[in-house]
Amino acid sequence: MRSKLRRIGAAAAAAGLGLSLAACGGSGSDDASGGDAEGSKGGTLHYLLNAPIESADPQRVYYGFQLASWRRTLYRGLVAFPMDKDEKAGNTPVADLATDTGTPNEDASSWEFTIKDGVKWEDGSDITCEDFRYGASRVFANDVITGGPNYTLSYLDVPQKDGKPTYPGPYKATPEQQAEFDKAIACDGNKITYNFNKPWADFPLAAAGMMMTDPYKESFDEGPKSEWKVLANGPYKLEGGVWDKNKGGTMVRNEAYDEKTDDPEKLRLALPDEIVWSVDGSDEASEIINQRLIADSGDDQYAITTGRVPATMLQQVTGAVEERYSNVLSPYVRYLVLNAKSMTNPKVREALKVSTDIDSVIKAQGGDKIGVPAESLVNPVTPGYQDNPAFEGDNAGDVEAAKKLLEESGEKLPYPIQLSYAKSPTNDAAMGALQQKWEAAGFKVTLDGLGDTYYDVISKPDKKSDVMLAGWGNDWPSMMTVMPPLFDSRPNVSATDCNNDYGCYHSDEFNKKLDEAANASDLDAQIKALQESDEILGKDVAYIPLYVEKFNWLRGSKVTGFDVTPASSSYPEIGLIGVQN
Amino acid sequence: MWAYVVRRCLVGVALIMALTLITFALFFASPVDPARFACGKNCSAEQRDVTRAALGYDKPFVVQWAGYLKGLAVGRDFPLDAEQRAAAPDQVTHCAAPCLGYSHLDSKTVNEMVADALPITASLAIVALVMWLIGGVLFGILAAIHQGSLIDRGVVGGTLVIYAFPSFAIAVFLLQYVAVKWGIVPLPRYTEIADGGLWAWFSNLLLPALTLALLYLAGYVRMTRAFVLESLSEDYIRTAKAKGLKSRTVVFKHALRAALTPLVTMTGLDFASLLGGAIITERVFTYHGLGMLTVDANNSSDLAVLVGIVLLAGMIVIIANIVVDVLYAYIDPRVKVA
Repeated sequence: MRSKLRRIGAAAAAAGLGLSLAACGGSGSDDASGGDAEGSKGGTLHYLLNAPIESADPQRVYYGFQLASWRRTLYRGLVAFPMDKDEKAGNTPVADLATDTGTPNEDASSWEFTIKDGVKWEDGSDITCEDFRYGASRVFANDVITGGPNYTLSYLDVPQKDGKPTYPGPYKATPEQQAEFDKAIACDGNKITYNFNKPWADFPLAAAGMMMTDPYKESFDEGPKSEWKVLANGPYKLEGGVWDKNKGGTMVRNEAYDEKTDDPEKLRLALPDEIVWSVDGSDEASEIINQRLIADSGDDQYAITTGRVPATMLQQVTGAVEERYSNVLSPYVRYLVLNAKSMTNPKVREALKVSTDIDSVIKAQGGDKIGVPAESLVNPVTPGYQDNPAFEGDNAGDVEAAKKLLEESGEKLPYPIQLSYAKSPTNDAAMGALQQKWEAAGFKVTLDGLGDTYYDVISKPDKKSDVMLAGWGNDWPSMMTVMPPLFDSRPNVSATDCNNDYGCYHSDEFNKKLDEAANASDLDAQIKALQESDEILGKDVAYIPLYVEKFNWLRGSKVTGFDVTPASSSYPEIGLIGVQN
Repeated sequence: MWAYVVRRCLVGVALIMALTLITFALFFASPVDPARFACGKNCSAEQRDVTRAALGYDKPFVVQWAGYLKGLAVGRDFPLDAEQRAAAPDQVTHCAAPCLGYSHLDSKTVNEMVADALPITASLAIVALVMWLIGGVLFGILAAIHQGSLIDRGVVGGTLVIYAFPSFAIAVFLLQYVAVKWGIVPLPRYTEIADGGLWAWFSNLLLPALTLALLYLAGYVRMTRAFVLESLSEDYIRTAKAKGLKSRTVVFKHALRAALTPLVTMTGLDFASLLGGAIITERVFTYHGLGMLTVDANNSSDLAVLVGIVLLAGMIVIIANIVVDVLYAYIDPRVKVA
């Protein structure tokens, strides 16, 4: 079974590969391979963050760049994604703190790992099975450890009441409750077994991509007070042990880390001696940081950033600066959601779809360096990705076809719709472009740009919005982290809220496919069910894909080995990056 | 005098209570769900309810407000969940009175956050104050004693031109060009005196303080000019001139002193409002003072921090008003406190 799962995983990734990065990279000055000098150990890398992170606690970390870069530096997991540009290899976990990528039982409802000997925390103590179990248990204390990914709550085989786990986490658990949890994650020496209440075919991918199953040392835990504390087990530790939310921190070599327990070539080269992380939380952070990188003086020559080059600054990326520039596909897809409660006429939904001018939207957002047309809500690098047949064809919007559909709909024309979106100058322009083509087709569009309240407004069931702009990126390379969180009405829709299912979409046929996927014991079956679920969404025009976002990166002139990988979520792959000494 | 001060203080306390109540009411009237922000990316409605309860936002706002006032008076222990505190006493954070609240997003008391941010805002306000006072008063006097001349028109016109620019534009210009592009000064990053010495503290404050000072300068130039001109036309000035006093003595000792009274009022109130946080300047220069804290708290719907800052800012303005009134009486003997 184990080998079967691996084969299936590889096949799925290969399927993604074939369709994925035809347009990836290469549209800028380079394809993010850097072209810089080979890196060597030593020196100080500066990482300029354009926004503060939300937490330094592994069970609370949820930002894609942080998950990826801290996996390379501070926090190792059971398994990890390698630093491989190839999507097939890059989306296939390899062993990290565990000796292999796990052995599932027959239906993948139980996974067994063996923890390596000699792996240690920065204080020199061994990383034990109990540390892994304790780390996973903290996620259940969701009244204390808030904000992190919590998929394990619905998977781990602990007693439930009304569909919810009764285990309250390690802080408030009774001895009986703790004993039940200890059965769900069983420790036997260095062997750890995760017992789930249903198959979890892509569990190793989840464990590699998220930190919800990472180890945590119980004696280090202070609950909420641990939010900014770091006890590292990777090649670096945090100087002082506490992250400053507003300033950042400095990572230095972790003497307790033994390279022999790692696979540096695949997982982390750990080239710089120090990595100085500086936070710029201002609204203009990306502009300022990229101005500094264009100027390329002092420490900024050794700097990388999370701040993308804004579209308005791309014209400054010329000459020598272009040598330090990368334009790459990101894991994020922008899409439109149709309100299932108000847009009930299938002909009207179809008319909206065919007249959607994706090309103009991309142009308004900044052009082909900002995005490429999407053919599905799923990102092309996701294993099992396929173009959704409902969205094939012209991206310029077919006004005549839409007019015909609207006439056939029997609705009074022009058909009024309200288009809601998070207000920004580029979104104003992009939504204006949509409005133009839709109105030519026979819609009467009211633009509704909203501020901070945007997501609160569009998640309400009684909203006035008919069409809404949204964006999503998968949590790990699996469609299970795309379709279920966004369109499964059961966990999302209530009388007062539609949560992430902004269109309040409900389809029994679709939900059945999700159940098939969730209960699949192998990835092949899971992927097939999810592909079919996307087809249902397309047929119902539950959403209209717009574009896959592209990232624009600048770096300092003395940065070496700059690259992005599927594992780094298209952010700088810090495991490969060094500085010239 | 003392009765007056006590009376003003009591009114101040009532005002502060009203401020906290209004902030609570406005926060809960907002359509923004604070639990959505705290709950993470993929959060079910059920999980959001748990998060809301963990943040303490599940109770009626009047109950929460009463709890907040209690914390101000006698302090509070966090988390609010008594079961949690009993189960994990080592995780309890005690917030001593006057407790401004606890930020669940930062896992810190608001008192700690304010203590971190206030020195930054105060440093910025003090350096800006010195800049605009020196500039404003000197240019104002210069314009007054050269009334109607090219100097007068140049000073007033010049400061008005600067005043016409929004502080955001000045801040971005100073940062992007003076610091980043031309590299005339290093990129400003707040440095404590204890860490880098007085010069590092001051030099890093130069651009953000200049941004604020330029904003206030025009007003002070015009006010000083107007008050000095008014004083110069008073009988006692004519008498002083007739007695043969030097014009420098007439201007600085007699005319300026009379003009100082309204200037002190203005300065006190402006300084107090700056102590509440210079939001735009702090945001552009990434100075993590009270202004930045306010914006961050607003963006993340962190009620405890918002209320704490409103309370603090309100307190500063009220205290500044009392101090200004007392100073008024001291500077101008004609003013007697009733």
